[in-house]
Amino acid sequence: MSPPANTHLAYTPPDGGWGWAVVFGAFISIGFSYAFPKAIAIFFKEIQDFFGTSYSEIAWVSSIMLATTYGGGPISSILVNRFGSRPVVIFGGLLCGIGMISAAFCTSILQLYICVGVISGFGLALNLQPSVIIIGKYFLKRRPIANGLAMAGSPVMLSTLAPLNQFLFDNFGWRGSFFILGAILLNCCVAGALFRPIGMAADPVRKQTIKQAEKTVKEQPNNSSIEMVPPKTVSLLSGTEDEEDKDCCEKFNKYLDFSLFKHRGFLIYLIGNVLMFLGFFAPIVFLAPYAKHLGIDEYSAAFLLSILAIVDMIARPITGIIANSKWVRPKIQYFFSFSIAFNGACHLLCPLATGYTGLVIYSVFFGLGFGMVCAMLFETLMDLVGAARFTSAVGLVTIVECCTILLGPPIGGTLIDTFGDYKYMFIKCGAVMVLAGTFLFIMNYYNYRMLAKEERERKATEETMKDNKHIRTETEDGNIWAKEKMQDGPEVEPLTDEKEGLKKEVNGKSEV
Amino acid sequence: MRGSGSGPGSMRLRLLLSLAALWLSDANEPGTAMTTRDINQQTRESISDYTVKGHDLSTPGSHLSTQDFNQQTEENISNLTSAMYSISIDGFSSAPVEENVTLYSPANITLLCSLTRTSTDSATVEVTWKKDNERVESSNVTINEIQNVWSTQYTLKIRDRNQMGNYACVFKSDQEVKATFHLQVPQIEGKDHHVVSYVGDSVVLVCKSLKYIPINWIWYMSNGSDQVAVNDSLMPDKYIVDEKYANITKLKILKISEKDDRSYWCQAVFKLGESKGKVSLKVLTYMTPLKPFLAIAAEVIILVAIIFLYEMYSKKKQMHAEDEKEFEQIEQLKSEDSNGVENSTTRHRKV
Repeated sequence: MSPPANTHLAYTPPDGGWGWAVVFGAFISIGFSYAFPKAIAIFFKEIQDFFGTSYSEIAWVSSIMLATTYGGGPISSILVNRFGSRPVVIFGGLLCGIGMISAAFCTSILQLYICVGVISGFGLALNLQPSVIIIGKYFLKRRPIANGLAMAGSPVMLSTLAPLNQFLFDNFGWRGSFFILGAILLNCCVAGALFRPIGMAADPVRKQTIKQAEKTVKEQPNNSSIEMVPPKTVSLLSGTEDEEDKDCCEKFNKYLDFSLFKHRGFLIYLIGNVLMFLGFFAPIVFLAPYAKHLGIDEYSAAFLLSILAIVDMIARPITGIIANSKWVRPKIQYFFSFSIAFNGACHLLCPLATGYTGLVIYSVFFGLGFGMVCAMLFETLMDLVGAARFTSAVGLVTIVECCTILLGPPIGGTLIDTFGDYKYMFIKCGAVMVLAGTFLFIMNYYNYRMLAKEERERKATEETMKDNKHIRTETEDGNIWAKEKMQDGPEVEPLTDEKEGLKKEVNGKSEV
Repeated sequence: MRGSGSGPGSMRLRLLLSLAALWLSDANEPGTAMTTRDINQQTRESISDYTVKGHDLSTPGSHLSTQDFNQQTEENISNLTSAMYSISIDGFSSAPVEENVTLYSPANITLLCSLTRTSTDSATVEVTWKKDNERVESSNVTINEIQNVWSTQYTLKIRDRNQMGNYACVFKSDQEVKATFHLQVPQIEGKDHHVVSYVGDSVVLVCKSLKYIPINWIWYMSNGSDQVAVNDSLMPDKYIVDEKYANITKLKILKISEKDDRSYWCQAVFKLGESKGKVSLKVLTYMTPLKPFLAIAAEVIILVAIIFLYEMYSKKKQMHAEDEKEFEQIEQLKSEDSNGVENSTTRHRKV
């Protein structure tokens, strides 16, 4: 039988079956999380007139929502580590709905900040992270495709929500629209219901190992110890540990793994991405104003964004398929760095586009680059840290990225206001992204070499310890293999504790 | 006041600067008034292009000097903004052509019509101008013919609203063809789509005139087929008009009831006339969005229930299959086991 999959999981991810339903659920969840803050901008004009505020005060609603969605990452990770994806997403969906429904009855802009920005934003945070996490639990061999498909939810939802919001606004005004949007956001609960828990209790591999253990028991009938899949290893990997032998640091690390900051791959990813996000979103925000600045009419300028969304929609699953191919998958980090640099190059060339045709071409390439980067955003992180630690990793990454994401458009805006010309903003974004791409490329080259070296060293030590039947569990980035920890009969003290542990394991449900 | 300052020499510049300084200072004393008149006379020739705005002349304390200024502007009438608008007609058989001319303030305009006719048409062409379909006889009309192109020019001094309207040049020989210029004040755009609000809520209706700043705004509401002025001073807790900026007007309606479901007009008053924009208000009750809300919430609950039920059903099936397999296993093991082996129940696993 094939050995259990890597990435610290003690079971083989199904790579299909119910996994596709999970992908669909993640599609909806991720779509709402990314598209909702942008789509809500349609109501701003009316709300601005209603409350008599300036546009920048209203735009804070979107910013607060985005900040809470990203900033709530660690809390989301902790909750998923504790309760699993499904309850968190359902709770997040309820929170979004409640936030929007209460926003329909707001009487001041501050209340809007709280209801739409904080409450709904936090609900979206509880949607985004678990959706990405559970894909890593259901897929391994086809994970890039699953990621690409799930991330395609963002442009699809944006293209659907924008006209829908306009329709709701025309017929129900902004209060009625918020009320109905609250109900629409409850659909995130449906997505959450699809996130069937998967973990040790449900996998066939464990049965196999137990059968093996049973066989060895038969061979050594006088041995009172039980050779089972050591509960310690298994429970370590699924997170339901015996808490007596852990100190508080390790206990906290169970919920949010701060030891990731010592992980080389994680640090490379973090620095590269933080740099990239400085220039990632600003061009989208300023594309339509730039087009109008060049003298293009409003509808054609809006059409540019539609072109971008359509190309984005197609690019994400295709990138997933390409990233899954056997040539790209082992070196997926290079592909990611390439797509970031490609994006940056597009921005650098944008000032050369002077007419509408030029801008259309730019939009097409921008959509392509944007889709490529987004499709692989979480896949590369999973690839670097492994699916078990991914839960904490994604939380830590999002809260750090939160700052640069929020800084990007205002910096771009300041550049435009200072120089009166859009091209400096594009040059800044392009330069930052090319720099980020190059950094990631070089550092990942170094990382791959170090990993290869460590692998060779490990194999060497294995050879020497082979006769002792000591094999350690390890992970290999990109390679699919691992071993199990087995304890030998005579070397182990009476395994009464472990028996208890195993019984608990067996009878309880260890769900992730 | 904007001086052109384009004339050569520092003399004129110094005069302009001293005039500006006097404007800024308090010009109450008669002494200063005299000085400004002198300077006005001297600088008349160098001031070529300026517009007179109503509120500029209302600064208190400079009454005397503004009156002088007014007199000067009357004499300098030929120095107001001038513009030319032309239409070309291609032969007698073409369709009537129309052009909209937007006039914000008094100006001198020249309307030019030219007709290109083929050589087969008869030689005599009668050219007339009509205002609102009434024939105009004026010394400001010139008629030319160069080869086969007949052109006519009508110079107008637009000073008040009576001069606004439709001016048409008519070319008549065997057939008749005409071109019309619509002289009008800047149009105000209302909202194409109605504004939605709820009973008990408040709403803000906005009208804008971005390029041209009106002198005043007046709001009307429809009452049956009439239009009644909205009196915000009479009902201050119902209507509030906000005029923070001169080119945007906002009507805030409080404590909305079903009776407020009607059309509202914002009227911008210009020097040469008025123009209206329409904004219609639609009032809904809270029941209206409740129905879609309940429908969607019901859909969510049903879907979640279906998913959970399906999951329980498939788990049961799986458990049955597992139980059967494990039962076989136990039988097999029991037959081979001796004492000292662990209780087989620990090998049962509940999924």
